[in-house]
Amino acid sequence: MTRTPPALPTLRQRLSQVHLRLILFALTLASASLLVSGTMVIRNYAQRNLELIASTASYTVEPAIVFGDSAGVREGLISVAAVPSVNRVEVRGTDGKLIAEWDRGREGLQSWIENSANRVLWPQPSRRIIKHSGAAIGEVRVYGNSQGILRYAMAGAIIALACLGLTMIATRILARRLQRDVIEPLHQLVQVAHSVRAERAFHRRLPPSSIAEIDLFSRDFNALLAELEGWHHSLSTENEELARRATHDPLTGLGNRILFEQSLNEAIAESVHTRASFAVLFLDADNFKLINDSHGHDAGDAALVAVAERLRSAIRHGDQAFRLGGDEFVILLPALHNLDHVDGVKARIEAAMDRPLQLPGAAEQRIRLSIGVATYPDDGLSPQDLLRRADSAMYDDKNNRRGGGVEDKIDA
Amino acid sequence: MHRSIRLALALAVCPSLAAANPVTSLGLTQASDSAGNVTAGRLVRSLIEYTRWPVRADPVTICLVGPATWNGALDVAALGDGRRVSRKIVGAAQAASSGCNVVYTGRIEPRAAQQIFASVRGKGVLTIAENDPQCRSQAMFCLLPGRQGLSFAVNIDAVSRSGLRIDPRVLRMASGSMR
Repeated sequence: MTRTPPALPTLRQRLSQVHLRLILFALTLASASLLVSGTMVIRNYAQRNLELIASTASYTVEPAIVFGDSAGVREGLISVAAVPSVNRVEVRGTDGKLIAEWDRGREGLQSWIENSANRVLWPQPSRRIIKHSGAAIGEVRVYGNSQGILRYAMAGAIIALACLGLTMIATRILARRLQRDVIEPLHQLVQVAHSVRAERAFHRRLPPSSIAEIDLFSRDFNALLAELEGWHHSLSTENEELARRATHDPLTGLGNRILFEQSLNEAIAESVHTRASFAVLFLDADNFKLINDSHGHDAGDAALVAVAERLRSAIRHGDQAFRLGGDEFVILLPALHNLDHVDGVKARIEAAMDRPLQLPGAAEQRIRLSIGVATYPDDGLSPQDLLRRADSAMYDDKNNRRGGGVEDKIDA
Repeated sequence: MHRSIRLALALAVCPSLAAANPVTSLGLTQASDSAGNVTAGRLVRSLIEYTRWPVRADPVTICLVGPATWNGALDVAALGDGRRVSRKIVGAAQAASSGCNVVYTGRIEPRAAQQIFASVRGKGVLTIAENDPQCRSQAMFCLLPGRQGLSFAVNIDAVSRSGLRIDPRVLRMASGSMR
């Protein structure tokens, strides 16, 4: 598994972006179409309104024109045309000369915006011919005012902006919910997978999810983890068993020569460090070959197992017994503070071996062990020296016993 | 009873407008007789045009009673809708029996004028008094010479009893111009 570089956007960011763009697009589209269509409808109504105002104004001012009363014309105009939807209204004679006019007359930015909008929305005024007795006597021109439409557009824009704000909030909430439902499980998956790989944490499991696909995935992943855990466990057990077999004697269960050499080296290294001494006991069965020859190998093996058992029971908890091969045994007494302890162990071994062994297909048999001791650092500093000294001491012991007339009793 | 509403229509009130538009520059003072005739003529003609008789009158007969200051006021050739206009001078006693559609009184005694207007009341005759600024003679319309031009007053009581239909816009316009 490769870790995601921090420069890449996260899933949550990507989802949030996609949501925001989608909603912005939809909202802009809806707002714009609504604004445009609404403006068109309102503009059409305003146009009809202007035509109605022009018609009313022409009817109202007709007598005043006939009477030649321009002040009356202006008053009539104001009475019908001075409304918010009208920007300017004028009455002209048949020769085009101005008779009366009325203008909203504003200044400033608002006026500039409104006038610009007026020019766009109503490039031409609404015209109405004034007739008297069937003959044209003048014309009314009404110029529309965009104030109402601008207000509508402004309100629409404000509402659209408000909706935009709400949308932003909704998008954030949505992204958070998505993160909780989708991204959080994915994140946990990433963590679990990483810890399984890095720490061999096969015991970890994904929690159940509220989304069907993710839940199914979590179950499968957990099942896979369970299988992996089982495989890992059996592999570890086999490895341990193999390692044990490589360093132990299969017959007696004691450590073999490889383990002894390791332990000896460790003991030397520890004693160099702690300046404590330790002892190596070299043991050899005096009459083992006879047992093998007269009672068979089964009896010999049984004798070896019994000897190993008795050695194991004779030593302390921290002491170690090894079988180097054949009938050769070694006992390591580490962290030795008192040399009397060596004699104690020797005495216990001899006492344990004093009891006869019950061998298969043979009578009771007593086995004697010759013991040679070497202590570190008095008898040597290297493993070889120690072992050699212990070995020679053992032979001395064996010879002393033979020379001393202590013959083993061998029952045929 | 004599609730006459004085409604003045000032012609060409605003000098700037008059200067900008010769069509409306009819604002002339009483001092200029010929110009006064033109103004009075337009006024009388407009009043006739906005009046509806029970039976369409063609030609429209204008009867002049007494000497008129603006003689030309009655010098109307034809109306906008093509009706012809005839004009005759009648005595005070013959006003009701001369087939007049319009009775225009000049400088006559107020009592005589009242008698004339009473005699044509309800008979579909448009009555205009030239020389009655107080409009006490029960004429429907009274001409009002003013500093800024010629205007007129309306006697709503007389209008309602005349048997004629006057375009309400004329009444409304006049009332709007009362100053």
